[in-house]
Amino acid sequence: MTATPAKETFLDPALLARISDLPLIARMVVDGFMHGLHRSVKKGLSLDFAEHRQYQPGDDLRRIDWKAYARTDRFYIKEYEADTNAGVLFALDVTGSMDYASAAVNKFTYAKILVAALAWLTQRQGDRVGIATFGDDLVDMVPPSTRHLQLLLSVLGRAVAKGEGALPLAIDRVADVATRPGIVILVSDFYGEPEAIGRSVNTLRARGHDVLVFHLLDPAEESFPFEAATVFEDGESGLRMPLRPEEVKERYQRMFRAHRADLEGRFAAAGVEYVALRTDQPLDHALYAYLDHRLSRSRVR
Amino acid sequence: MGLGFLVPAFLAGLAAIAIPLLMHLRDRNEETPTRFPSLMFLVRLPIRTSDRRKVTDWPLLLLRALAVAILVLAFSRPFFGRDAAAAGEGRVRTMVVMLDRSMSMGYAGTWAAARDSVRALLDGLATDDQVALVLFDEEATLAQNWTADRAAVRAIVDATEPAARATGFGAALRVARSALVAAPPGAPEIVLVTDLQRSGLTGVAGLAMPAGLPIRVVSVAPPARANTAVSSVDARRVADGSRVQLHVQARVTTRELPAPRSVRLALALAGREVGTRTVTLPADGELNVVFDPVTAPAGAISGRVTVDSDALPGDDRLEFALPADDALTVVLVVPDDLNRDETLYFERALAIGRAPAVRIERRRTGAVDAATLARAGIVFHWDVAPASGAAGAGLDTWVQGGGGLVVLAGPRLGARRVSALAATAGVNGQADRSAAGGATVGEVRMEHPLFTPFRAAPAALSAPRFLRYPRLEPLVGSEVLARFDDGSPAILERTAGEGRVLVLAPGLDVREGDFPLQPAFLPFLRRVALYAAGHEAAPLWRSTGESWMPRGVRRAPVIQAPDGTLLRPEATEFAVALTLEQVGVYAAYEGRVDGSPRDRIAVNVGAAESDLTPADPSELLLGVAETADSTLRGLAPPTSVEIESRQLAWRILLLVGLLLLLAESVIASRGWRGRARRATVVGPAATPKESQG
Repeated sequence: MTATPAKETFLDPALLARISDLPLIARMVVDGFMHGLHRSVKKGLSLDFAEHRQYQPGDDLRRIDWKAYARTDRFYIKEYEADTNAGVLFALDVTGSMDYASAAVNKFTYAKILVAALAWLTQRQGDRVGIATFGDDLVDMVPPSTRHLQLLLSVLGRAVAKGEGALPLAIDRVADVATRPGIVILVSDFYGEPEAIGRSVNTLRARGHDVLVFHLLDPAEESFPFEAATVFEDGESGLRMPLRPEEVKERYQRMFRAHRADLEGRFAAAGVEYVALRTDQPLDHALYAYLDHRLSRSRVR
Repeated sequence: MGLGFLVPAFLAGLAAIAIPLLMHLRDRNEETPTRFPSLMFLVRLPIRTSDRRKVTDWPLLLLRALAVAILVLAFSRPFFGRDAAAAGEGRVRTMVVMLDRSMSMGYAGTWAAARDSVRALLDGLATDDQVALVLFDEEATLAQNWTADRAAVRAIVDATEPAARATGFGAALRVARSALVAAPPGAPEIVLVTDLQRSGLTGVAGLAMPAGLPIRVVSVAPPARANTAVSSVDARRVADGSRVQLHVQARVTTRELPAPRSVRLALALAGREVGTRTVTLPADGELNVVFDPVTAPAGAISGRVTVDSDALPGDDRLEFALPADDALTVVLVVPDDLNRDETLYFERALAIGRAPAVRIERRRTGAVDAATLARAGIVFHWDVAPASGAAGAGLDTWVQGGGGLVVLAGPRLGARRVSALAATAGVNGQADRSAAGGATVGEVRMEHPLFTPFRAAPAALSAPRFLRYPRLEPLVGSEVLARFDDGSPAILERTAGEGRVLVLAPGLDVREGDFPLQPAFLPFLRRVALYAAGHEAAPLWRSTGESWMPRGVRRAPVIQAPDGTLLRPEATEFAVALTLEQVGVYAAYEGRVDGSPRDRIAVNVGAAESDLTPADPSELLLGVAETADSTLRGLAPPTSVEIESRQLAWRILLLVGLLLLLAESVIASRGWRGRARRATVVGPAATPKESQG
């Protein structure tokens, strides 16, 4: 694949954040991005049966396996394998720590735009898209499907970042529900023990998933720019802590960098591609990373 | 000096000092913390709580704490007052100095002693003590209101001289009490500098003074009080053939002379000495000195009797004024059939009176000629009706012009029916009460001026018995002043222009009753004559402080005072009244000072002022009541409110507190503090909305 990046203002997160229509944003991002790629995605459906999955609103009624219904009294959709298409599950962190902005774009907003755009792009490539949102457990789950883009965007639109999270546990739950190997795109700020996170990602990998990690960062999380003594409140737990920033700034930065490095090392060890995204960066970077990752995988299920 | 607070409860607000401390320690961001995605790294840092709570900006903290403390103190309304121990001795004094300036203070050496006493009082005051000066004689004035300027008070005292006025402590104490009501807070005191004449105590009884108010008397009474005074004068015209002579006699009073004293008395008329007498006065007593009669000058007479001057010159002369001719002429019109001696009691009774003397001119029935009317004070018709119609026109006109007409309705008029007697009453027969022992006067309008002599003894008028009297019927416009016990009118009055008409039913002869033999007869007749004539007896002199209503002056009155000052008192519809302030002769003119005055009056200091007998200081307040509910705030220690209201420290503190807060705002928003504060604003303020989108 030859990807020629085009500088598009459509991909400025600050600009996109002002638009409330998430599908529109996704289309703008992808169209603008694809306009510079000059590449067509492969399309095609295989008739080889792959698996059953539970019916989701929006599924084509024609694809309901009535025999399975007769046996189990439940609606199941028959899924078929395609030669070039894969199931892409976006795992989005909706904990309170994602609800933060020191600049123009909120971290969670950035994440939603990112997921929407990637899902749109994925849909255009003929891949199946699904989404799992999680805090300390799964919040919403939409299995990957070629018809689930609108459902994914709907889930994405109403998602609210709040509460505490248990990221390793949540990843384990994603691994549990994503029974069919595919691509799992993990979008989170990864506040958790790297070791536990690494273990959970390894679990995903062990179950045959290709994992792509987007680590969302706010500029303030890196630089810790505060000066006056103040009380800091944890975005997830609400824990308050009076601090004089100048006393802890350097140590914080050191610890944060070590955390990132630790995560990155563990993801690399697990064969997981790690992409750090700052909310003041254009979305191009993420889309390129995604496509590179998608194309670098020769085996597509 | 101690610090007090008007609202000490506000001091609890000092606990608010903890607020800036807490705010400072938590840097004011406790309520709006800075959200951060995760504190997972920060909680691992070895940060001690004590470090987090360490005060790092002492100047700002102290500034805030100071501002809060000052504001709390301001609202507690602080004041600085003397402590309890000093409240007694060291308290500010508020002293009313009452200086007697009555005539008796002019006694040799007394006034100088009084001035020295006042100066000594002033010198004894502390710098912040307050003093007020009341000058008094029979009246009192607040000559100097409350001041700490002793020089001003001293200047007033130096410029003051004894006045020709009597002494009255009552008025002075009232003014002093009023002054103390408005006194600034302090220890009040009244100091009376006086010769403490006993005669001045009149009017003190019944006065209410605040309980506990110290009243100190500085007596400057002379040790020797020898005094000679002309206490009274009697002067009257006496007809001697075709001449009229003036008889004057003076009464001279001596008190505490060391020995009988030979003095010379002089009589002066219109400023010219017309007679002298040299007499030896007793050491302590009175002596009537009769001057040789002198030819009475025409018109009004003003004169003066003087005695050789002594230590108190103010009472060594006495002024008097005699009206032009004070005799009252009564024209007695009698019926042709008048019985012998029928008017005997009447005429004798009127002739007895003096000031004014009554002169009777008898006329027979018929019209009174104009010349007679011109002389007449009243025209008295004795049981005969006045002429009516054209014949009586002259009399009517005279009455309208101010004359007095009196008609006695006796048996002659009672025997016939008269429809309009003097246009005042009809006569409808006669009542004969002889069978019942006579009638009495039962209903008297005692408030009427005609009965002024009987107000103190109203029974005197009900004592006489009347055997017969005509039955009068009042006509329109007439008033019934008295009735017999059967309700029949006894005395009627009608006002005619400026004159008066009286109709009398009570018989004035012994044949009609016993009235001529009763004590009320003489004063009644005299009062009838004077009232009908509109004649008021003019005294030879009045005392200072009295009011004078000059006669014959109705419009644009001009009064010439003894010192030549022209006074223009306001003329009311009824009279002109003037308070007599000076010793000497006042003359009243109408319009302008030209020709002979319409009226004049001599004025002297009351004779009691010549009695220098001092009272004991304790007597001064014998009749003074003490009021428990004192309105004098100075009697009580000054309240906290009073002290605080004078100091107003809270305003200053409030201003300082506000300035400190202003300074705090400026300091906290400038420099590194301002930058630090702005940096803390960074946070996810808008994130929830964005996250919803």
